[in-house]
Amino acid sequence: MPLKYAYHPGNIAHSSAPEVSQTMPTVARTLDIKLTPLEGATSCGAGIIRQANEMLQITLNARTFAMAESMGLEIVTPCAATAGNLHEDLNKLRGDSILLAKVNDVLERNTGMTFNAETEVHHLLHVIVDEIGLDKLESKIKNPISYRIAGYYGPNMQQEGACGNDDVFDPCYMEDLLRSLGATPVYWESRTKSVGVPGLFSEEPTVLKQTASVISDAKSEGADLIVSACTLSHTVLDVYQAKASRVTGLSANIPVIHLTELLSFALGHYNNRLAQLKTRLAVIGD
Amino acid sequence: MSDGLPLLILFGSQSGNAEELAASAAKQGSALGLSSTVKGMDEIQIADLEGTQRVLIFCSTWGEGEMPDNAEDLWQAANEENPPSLEGCNFAVCSLGDSSYEFFCESGKDWDGWFEKQGANRLIPRLDCDVDYDKPAAEFTSEALANFAAVGADGSFDPALITQAKDPSPGEVEISDKPSDSSQTSEEVELSGGGLEELLTSGDRSLAILFGSQSGNSEELAAKLAKRAKDYGLEGIVHDMDGFDFNSLSNMKRVLIICSTWGEGEMPDNAEELWQFANSDSASKLDGVHFSICALGDSSYEFFCQSGKDWDSRFETLGATRVVDRLDCDVDYDSPAAEWALEALPALSAVDSTGLFHEGMVESIKRFASGSSTGADGDDVFSIPEISSAPIQVEVSVFRYDPISASSGSDVWLCVLPARMSVLEVLRTLKSTQDGTLTFRDGTPDDPNTAITVNGKIVLPGLTKIDSVAPIREDSVSIRIEPLSGFEVIRDLAIEPWSLERKRESSRPWMVASTREGAKIPQGVIGTMSPSKADLLHPLCSYSSHTALHSSSDATPYSNDYLGPAVITSMWARRNDPRTSPKKLDHIDELLRSRNGIKAETDLASIHRQSISGPSISRALLDAKNAVLNMDRFNGRHGKHVWWYTWSIKSSGRVNDTVIYRQALGPGGLLGNLFSGVTARMVFGFTRTGGNMLNGMLGMVAPPAGIGKMPKQFNSSVDKHHEVVSIFNELDGRF
Repeated sequence: MPLKYAYHPGNIAHSSAPEVSQTMPTVARTLDIKLTPLEGATSCGAGIIRQANEMLQITLNARTFAMAESMGLEIVTPCAATAGNLHEDLNKLRGDSILLAKVNDVLERNTGMTFNAETEVHHLLHVIVDEIGLDKLESKIKNPISYRIAGYYGPNMQQEGACGNDDVFDPCYMEDLLRSLGATPVYWESRTKSVGVPGLFSEEPTVLKQTASVISDAKSEGADLIVSACTLSHTVLDVYQAKASRVTGLSANIPVIHLTELLSFALGHYNNRLAQLKTRLAVIGD
Repeated sequence: MSDGLPLLILFGSQSGNAEELAASAAKQGSALGLSSTVKGMDEIQIADLEGTQRVLIFCSTWGEGEMPDNAEDLWQAANEENPPSLEGCNFAVCSLGDSSYEFFCESGKDWDGWFEKQGANRLIPRLDCDVDYDKPAAEFTSEALANFAAVGADGSFDPALITQAKDPSPGEVEISDKPSDSSQTSEEVELSGGGLEELLTSGDRSLAILFGSQSGNSEELAAKLAKRAKDYGLEGIVHDMDGFDFNSLSNMKRVLIICSTWGEGEMPDNAEELWQFANSDSASKLDGVHFSICALGDSSYEFFCQSGKDWDSRFETLGATRVVDRLDCDVDYDSPAAEWALEALPALSAVDSTGLFHEGMVESIKRFASGSSTGADGDDVFSIPEISSAPIQVEVSVFRYDPISASSGSDVWLCVLPARMSVLEVLRTLKSTQDGTLTFRDGTPDDPNTAITVNGKIVLPGLTKIDSVAPIREDSVSIRIEPLSGFEVIRDLAIEPWSLERKRESSRPWMVASTREGAKIPQGVIGTMSPSKADLLHPLCSYSSHTALHSSSDATPYSNDYLGPAVITSMWARRNDPRTSPKKLDHIDELLRSRNGIKAETDLASIHRQSISGPSISRALLDAKNAVLNMDRFNGRHGKHVWWYTWSIKSSGRVNDTVIYRQALGPGGLLGNLFSGVTARMVFGFTRTGGNMLNGMLGMVAPPAGIGKMPKQFNSSVDKHHEVVSIFNELDGRF
C-alpha cells in the first residue's frame, strides 16, 4: 500500500527552486508515496507574515490544514522552513481552544471549512526514515552517491515535536539517510544553525556572516557538497555563497543541492543532472 | 533490616571523607551478606563495643596527630580506667591522613593499637592512606569486608570462608583519555565517582505545595518546586489555597507553603478563606506534618512578608514541625528561593512515609540529587534504597582555549559515567582528576552564570543530566561542551559577560515610572496591575539566565552591535509595564526601532527552539518586531520585505520572490547583487545541477527575472484564491 500524503511544495518550489518541483515527484513515485497536491494551499508564511499579523498567518495555515483534513490526509513537505512553520501554527491551534474557535469562525465565514486539528505535518526526511525505512530506500538505490556530504537541517524543523523521533539538537536522520545512499555523512556542528533567511534583505551583512560560517564549517569537516533539507535556506547557501565568502574572507564555495535532488539522482532519475554534478565536483571542485 | 551478619562501621571524620568511605563500605558489604550499621564515633559509647564481633573503622587524623572532633570524646572514654574487654571482637582499621604532616595517620594508629590492646583480633593489617586515598581505601575495604564475612556467628574467623567482594560498585566512574592519535592506546583511569542512586519511593512520597498568590509569582514558584521535587524522590502536588481543605493537611507528612503578601500585610485573595479557617476552632492539629515556608514580599512595605510569617507561626502553633527556616523573599526572589529549595526539598525528602524526619540523611539526599551521591545507607529505620544508575559510555568533547598562546581546539575523553550525572559534575570530575587547568564557571545547579552549550543546546549544566542532553545511541552518548556563543571566551568554557552588560547598560534598563492612579484600600492607596498584564510580564522577567538568552540567537555572534534577545526582552517587558513613564516609553521605542534593535534579529526560530528561553520569549520578540514594523509603517528594508511578502500572498496565495527582491532591495540592491556575483549565480545556476537555464519564457520578456534561479515575474494563483483574499480582507485590510 502506498503511503498517501497531501503535498505542500514549500514556499519557492514554484519559483526560485523549480528543481524541487521537478525532483520531488520522482522520489515519491519510486518510494511508493502517493502525493495529492494541495492546490489551494498558500505559502506557510515562512515566519514572515506573522511579523505583520500573526492571526493572518495562522488562519491561512489553518485553511491549508482544513484542506488536508478534508482529504483525510496528513501533510508532507520537502522544505524544513515550511515543516517548522506549519508545525508551529498547528501546535498553537491545538494548544489554544479559544484561538482555534476564533480561527474556525473566520475560516467558516470565508471558506465554508473548519479545522479539527486532526492532520499532521511531516518533512520528507522524517517520512522516509520513520515511515518508509532506510532499508527500503537502500534497496531502491541505482546510483550510489559516493561523496562526503554535509546534511543541513536548519533550525525551523529542529524544534521539539517537529522532527519525528530525531533529536532536536543532535539529529542523525539526514546522516543515516546519506549513509543509505552510499555517501559518507559529515558530522558538523552548524547543521541546525540558522543562516538567517528571514533577515536576508534587511540584515545582509549578518546573514552573510552566518552563511559563511555554516558553509565554512561543512568545508572544514571535509564535505564535498551540502545537501539542504530546507528549500529557503538553500537559496542563501547557494546563491549568496560567493558574496558571503568575499565579505567574510572565509572559504564558502561549495555545491549545495536540495535533498529531493540528491534522492532523485540516487534513485536513478535525472542521470544527466547527476553527471553534471559529478563533473562539477571532479573538475571545478570549490 | 536484613538478617545478615552484623557489622559495625565506625567513622571518625572531620571533612566527611571517612564518613563517605564508611557509607560506601556499608553498601558494598550487603553484597557479602553483611548487615552494616554505620555510626559516627560520637554516636556510640565505648561500652557499646563490648560483645561486638565485627568492627570496621575509618578514621582521619586532624591537626598534629589529633582525633577528628567527632572521635575525641570516644577516644577519651576509651582511655579511661576499665576499658571494655574486646575478646572475640574482629576489627580492621583504615586510617586517613596526609603524609606531609609529622603525625601521619596517627588517629588510626591509635585506634588500631587500642583495639589490639583490648584483646580484639586484627583481621587485616591497618591501611594508612595518604591524600589520594580512593583506590587503596577501596581495595582495603573489599579485603576487609571479605574477611568480616568469614567471621562466623560465634565470632570465630574462618579464612576458608573468604569470598571476593563485588567490585567495582555500580556507580563507579571510569575515565580514560581518548587517544588523539589512533596509534595510541587509551589508558583507563579509575576514579572514585561513587554510585549514583535514585530514591526509590516507598510508601507515601507526596509533597503538598500550597500557594497563595495574587500576581502569579507564588503559583509559578510552586509549579517549579513541584517539578524539582522529583529530583528528591518526591511527588510534588501543587494546591491552590483557594478551595483547599485545610483539615486534609493533618494526613500529610510534607508541606511547602509559598505565599505572597498583599497590601498592608494581608493574605492574597486566594489564601484569605483558608487563613480564616486555619485560625478557627475547626482547624485540625498538624502533628506529624513537616513543613517549610517561602514568603514573597516587598521590603519597601511595612509588613514585609507578613502572610508567610503568619502561616509559619500558625503551623507551628498547630503542632507541625518546621524542617527548614522560613525564607522571606524580596522582589528579586528567584535566586534566594532557589537556594531555599536546595535546603527545603532534601529536608522534606528525609521525612519517611511514617512521618519520621531523618535529619542525618539530608546531606546524602543533597548529594544524591546533585548527581554526586555515593548513596549512603541510612540508619536502622530509613535508608535510601539502592538503585544503580546504569553506567553509560560517554565521549566528552570539551572546547579548550588558551588565551596565552591564543590557540583553541577540543579535548576528548572517553568515560564510563552514571547516566544521571549532571554535566557540571562531569566537568568537575574532569577538572579534579584529568586536567586541573580546565576552566569553567562553577556554582549552584541553577546558577545562571554557569550556562554553557552542550551539543548546540544551551543549558545550566548543574540541572542537566548527561542522559537527557543527547540521545543515547548504542549505549553510548557523545557530548560536545562549548562556551556560550556570542561572547568572547576568556579561557576554555568561561566567557566574558561584559559585552552583554555594556549593551544592557546602553539600553538604560532602569525603571522610570510615571505618576498613576492607584486603588484605594483600607490601608491606603496602592498601585495595581491587571492580572492579564501581570501574566504577560512575568514570563518575560523570569527566564533563567541573561547570558544564555543572549546566546540563544544565532545572529548575535555575527552582529556586534545587535542588542540581542536578552536586552530586547527586558526592554519589551518594560515597555509593556503600565508603570513606565511616557518619556521612557519613547526612549524604549527609539531603541527597539534602531538598527541594533529587534530588526537586527535575523531568525526567531533559533531562539524558539532553545528551551532555556522558551516560546514565551520568542513570542515576546515577535510581538516587539510586529510593534516596531507597525510604528515604522513597514518602511525600511525589513518592513518592505515583510510587507511585500505578505502582499504577494494576498495577490496569488504564493510568494513572488521577484516582487520581494525588487521592492525590498530596490535598484541599488539589485545592482549590488549584479556586481557581487549573486545575480551571476542566479543566472548561470552553478549548482542547479542541470536544471533549466530559463525559468519559462517570461525571462525573455523581463530579464533578469525568469532566468536561472531568478523567479517568475508573476505567479499563477492557488485554487480558490478568492478565499485567501477574503481572509485577508477580514483580518487585515492594509494589504
